[in-house]
Amino acid sequence: MKTTELAIVGAGPAGVCAALEAASCGVKVTLIDREEQIGGQLVKQTHKFFGWHEKSAGTRGIVISGDLADQVKANPDICFMGSAEALGYFQDDGVLLLETPVGIQKLKPERLLIATGASEKMILFPGNDLPGVYGAGAVQTLMNVHGVRPGKSVLMIGSGNIGLIVSYQLAQAGVKVAAVVEALPNIGGYAVHASKIRRLGIPIYTRHSIKEAYGTACVEGAIIWQLDDNWQGIAGTEKQLDVDVICLATGLTPLCEFLWQAGAEMAYIPELGGFVPLYDENMETTVEGVYVAGDAACIEEASTAMAEGRLAGLAIAYSLGKVPADEFSRKRAESLKELDELRAGPTSGAIVKGLAVMKEQMRKRVSQ
Amino acid sequence: MKPDVLMTTGIPSKEQIDSATPPGSRRKQGPFVVIECFQEIPCDPCYHSCRFGAIKPFESLNDIPQVDWEKCTGCGVCVAACPGLAIFVVDETFSDTECLIAMPYEFSPLPGKGDPVHLLDRSGDKVGEGVVHRVVPGRKPQGTPVVWVRAPRELSLNVRNLLPSAGKGGNNCV
Amino acid sequence: MSDENTIIVCRCEDVTLGEIRKAIREGATTLDEVKRITRAGMGPCQGRTCRLLVAGEIARYHRKHVSEVLQSRYRPPVKPVKMGDFAALSEEGGNSQEEGGHRQATGGDGQCICGKAVTGK
Repeated sequence: MKTTELAIVGAGPAGVCAALEAASCGVKVTLIDREEQIGGQLVKQTHKFFGWHEKSAGTRGIVISGDLADQVKANPDICFMGSAEALGYFQDDGVLLLETPVGIQKLKPERLLIATGASEKMILFPGNDLPGVYGAGAVQTLMNVHGVRPGKSVLMIGSGNIGLIVSYQLAQAGVKVAAVVEALPNIGGYAVHASKIRRLGIPIYTRHSIKEAYGTACVEGAIIWQLDDNWQGIAGTEKQLDVDVICLATGLTPLCEFLWQAGAEMAYIPELGGFVPLYDENMETTVEGVYVAGDAACIEEASTAMAEGRLAGLAIAYSLGKVPADEFSRKRAESLKELDELRAGPTSGAIVKGLAVMKEQMRKRVSQ
Repeated sequence: MKPDVLMTTGIPSKEQIDSATPPGSRRKQGPFVVIECFQEIPCDPCYHSCRFGAIKPFESLNDIPQVDWEKCTGCGVCVAACPGLAIFVVDETFSDTECLIAMPYEFSPLPGKGDPVHLLDRSGDKVGEGVVHRVVPGRKPQGTPVVWVRAPRELSLNVRNLLPSAGKGGNNCV
Repeated sequence: MSDENTIIVCRCEDVTLGEIRKAIREGATTLDEVKRITRAGMGPCQGRTCRLLVAGEIARYHRKHVSEVLQSRYRPPVKPVKMGDFAALSEEGGNSQEEGGHRQATGGDGQCICGKAVTGK
């Protein structure tokens, strides 16, 4: 059976940054992704990133993913396995099962990092299975990876950063965005993203949701309506929209299947996106040697995913004896400070609250 | 609680826009920057892009940029640098009747010098007609182009987007 | 609500909200029970789409928090795999050390694109 010092499942921003950090300390890394390409969701991000000027702020996700991919390819200590999908993790013998183009393979890593990202949350409405109802990720894949417009006119459900950004990208592709609806009283994403699409003439309706999608063989239109304080639609407030695409950007939830399989202790923390693994300041879960980073740990921005990846990579290298203790504590302190700063603003309020819940649960667990 | 106009519509309030606009005396002196960034988000490239020190140093990554208009030359470098496309430059001294407005523009095809454009406000509504004065293509890989348009002077603080009036622009408001 | 039979909860297995609610009314209290009765979550996506929606329905009916609804286990494989592929694995005996422990998976031809060793030992 094949072995490796560190297996990373998911070559998105968190996984790649962890791989680069660990490899820079001398860890032999196997980086696994079901896509052929390195970068995960970054390859679909055509907008410029926020963050530090020194750390790729102002650079588009697609450009960042290209840079990261070049670094991975140039690094002799990282083996990238593309088109390889993890099928399962067997807790008892610590074996990862992978489906690759040359068959199913087993891999036994000394350390495992789960950086599998998130899955999209769906919502229920009549007509939700009509062709033309897409998740925002699928719309981005169609447009930004394959160069295909999903339709002519779109209703966007959800005004988080993904809903706002994908609306902008649709407009750039020449697709009309009829409206963005948001069930909450306020826009969920950054104000600058909202302003950017508003001045394109895209209306944003807060306290609104979709009532139904209609059409015989595919989406021919949608009806939206206003919501009351109990999230119920208000009769008489319906608006009919002529759209052929309904794009769902209604939130993400961590994709933690392999962590459940590893027997990691999970907790339901809504602020972090739902069920998340409990992890410590080294991004290590309650299963020794199994780490987590990025959206699989907590639904956040790519910039925090990259910082978490670097932290996890460093901690893993230390646990393998590749980093001296003083260097580890200095670099870890820098990493934690970086994460704190990224989360210092009011837009990260819920995340900070969720992470405090996590810390408390970890504390209770240790004291038991 | 008073509803936050910006966070319910995406359009900044009048107070927010006033806070981003220099006093009249400064406006008469030449081009000035307008930074329509009203929410603390972790982002600092604008500060680093300014060679004149016109954007005050950040204490925290989440600071809202503060402008020293006496140092601002209206060069427009920060317009292309802002990841949120929230920065504009306005020159009300261009002529007796017209002003210049620099706006980030990430749509294809890029308009060319002399092209007529519809002028749009913060809701995307057409509020007037203008002409492209200058186009600064994006610098770094896939950087943001900046389009300077001539606009009626009274619209200097209203116009925040453009739509090429001849041919197709990849814009939502058709 | 008459709409519930036109709302699909599990897209893989075409299970409607009406069918899910009926299973819950008839006594299903966990995700596993709903799954076994309706097949919701047994399709290609293995519940990635409907799991939270079904949990939400159970929670609402029993006036519980969604975190209290018993989760079903995530057994490997997390997606459908051909039986033949597993058979090939056992024949191989899981040993390919002589290849440097590494066959690169990209491109479908078994060729390595990076030429680096996995094990390094």
